[in-house]
Amino acid sequence: MKKKVLAILICAIMALTLSSCGGTETEDKPAADTYSVGICQLVQHVALDSATQGFKDALNDTLGDQVTFDEQNASGDIPTCSIICNQFVSSNVDLIMANATPALQAAQTSTADIPVLGTSVTDYGTALGIDDWSGTTGTNISGTSDLAPLDEQAAMLQELFPDATNVGILYCSAEPNSKYQYEVVKGHLEGMGYSVKEYTFSDSNDVQAVTTMAASECDVMYLPTDNTLASNSEIIKNVCVPAEVPIIAGEEGLCAGCGVATLSISYYDLGYTTGEMAYEILVNGADPATMEIEYAPQFTKKYNAEISDMLGITMPDDYIAIED
Amino acid sequence: MDVLAYFASLDPMHFMGALPGNVAQGLIWGIMALGVFITFRLLDFPDLTVDGSLATGGAVTVILILVGVPSPLAIAIAVVAGVLAGLVTGLLHTALGIPGILAGILTQISLWSVNLIILDGANKAVNVDKYSLIVSLRNVSSSIITVLIIAGIIICLLYWYFGTEQGSAIRATGCNPNMSKAQGINIDNMKVLALCISNGLVALSGGLMAQYQGFADIKMGQGAIVIGLAAVIIGDVLGEAIFRKRMNFSIRLTFVVIGGIIYYLVIGLVMWLKMPTNMLKLLTAAIVAIFLAVPYLREKRINSFAFKSKKEGRKNA
Repeated sequence: MKKKVLAILICAIMALTLSSCGGTETEDKPAADTYSVGICQLVQHVALDSATQGFKDALNDTLGDQVTFDEQNASGDIPTCSIICNQFVSSNVDLIMANATPALQAAQTSTADIPVLGTSVTDYGTALGIDDWSGTTGTNISGTSDLAPLDEQAAMLQELFPDATNVGILYCSAEPNSKYQYEVVKGHLEGMGYSVKEYTFSDSNDVQAVTTMAASECDVMYLPTDNTLASNSEIIKNVCVPAEVPIIAGEEGLCAGCGVATLSISYYDLGYTTGEMAYEILVNGADPATMEIEYAPQFTKKYNAEISDMLGITMPDDYIAIED
Repeated sequence: MDVLAYFASLDPMHFMGALPGNVAQGLIWGIMALGVFITFRLLDFPDLTVDGSLATGGAVTVILILVGVPSPLAIAIAVVAGVLAGLVTGLLHTALGIPGILAGILTQISLWSVNLIILDGANKAVNVDKYSLIVSLRNVSSSIITVLIIAGIIICLLYWYFGTEQGSAIRATGCNPNMSKAQGINIDNMKVLALCISNGLVALSGGLMAQYQGFADIKMGQGAIVIGLAAVIIGDVLGEAIFRKRMNFSIRLTFVVIGGIIYYLVIGLVMWLKMPTNMLKLLTAAIVAIFLAVPYLREKRINSFAFKSKKEGRKNA
């Protein structure tokens, strides 16, 4: 009896190992009427959720019933991204949409054939380990970047606070994309004559202490696009508003939480653009290897009415108040 | 109607196709679970260092591969890094008298900073197209074979080692520290040694994991201890159920690795069933709870008066 159980177990394991030989290869499908798209999202998050929604809306608008989505969320658990992407590859989806950096990296590793589109990724060169970054990957990957134009963000800071001298840049050192933004913005701001100092924390427990220190030393703060900052914006607001330090934020969600103004990209639009790229690949046979990474289609100057009132800052007319 | 449509949308082939990937990942976590097994089961020491040392293993491996070190050597150095992490926890506990859980937590949070320094950031990619990696999600079947061989070697080594005088001393320390001390075993040294071996294995698993998924991330170790414990417990219960009294040490070690595989098969199953992924953690917790509860409840039933009297009654009839 027990030997039988063991034998069955061993057989099962052997079968699993064998089944991998044929299963993972991608076969050329005949031109199908319906397309299956796998979506791997890293974590439940306002920005990422709206990017996924935009992506789905774009494909639903163009393909209607011809597209089915397999939407999976790793709930912030990085190894689960690999499991999800592997599942997509084995069920041979027509396209994988990877939402956020670790999801894209898992998708990149899992397949060299199925087209992969990333979104909510800031810097593709770093994320994919490509040294000589030229705007296209040359492989099965393309996508959209959530990088707001950092030079224009710096220009916005100068426009609103020309008299400030010390600018602090606050970010989480455990976020993959924040350091890159810090370096670029720092370059622009120093070119304008500001003195720039970085304030980093490595997880959310240190946010309050580091922000308090930054607020006591700076006239203005710049906060890049950073998930940990976004999750802790309430703390930052409660430190910076009493200290009367205004914040220029990298994205709208962060600005709504604790910032005064931002040059906003809409993650929904970003996802929608990604969806349009997916349409090009699925229907018109575009090659992701030669598709340029796209950026958000438009930027809007927005401001947080509540905080700017509290700080007594009058906004120029071309800024739009963020609606709740 | 909706129920029918739901079942019709489940394609068994998809589940079967994804199985090898789940097995490969489960095997890698199984090696990590062997590390947890040494501290949790043999030494009776709840070591929380592993969340940090897993990421350390990944970080060291990726950084070394990026500067051109061959990946087997990179992994070997990662193991050394893991051993050092275990050494720190061990010394905090034995030399400085810090309680076990706290010592592990202290090392774990300090490793968060150390890993950020090693990685020089939060996330580093190691592109499978540019570097030769020993395991990769790109080639699942060869990864399974590689990890199976590695796991086999580790199980043999552990089986041999815990049979030696020193290994037996570690096991004795876990069973009854006072008695071991009375027998002339230096229990502090044994604890440090076991923590070093354990975290070395965890770092090895982290190094394999980073290569398999193609990147190291500062957050890759988060919750690792839970997966490790789950694998140990699932393996224990399953081995116990199949082999009962004949479960020896080598079978026990093997079933720890099998526990890791089953954990990831369950995750694959949950995803295949298209359950809302928000529920994933809750479901995994529920599964581990079931595995923990079943042997206890069975034991309780066998030892209950109701069961005994029934049995007696049958015998007398």
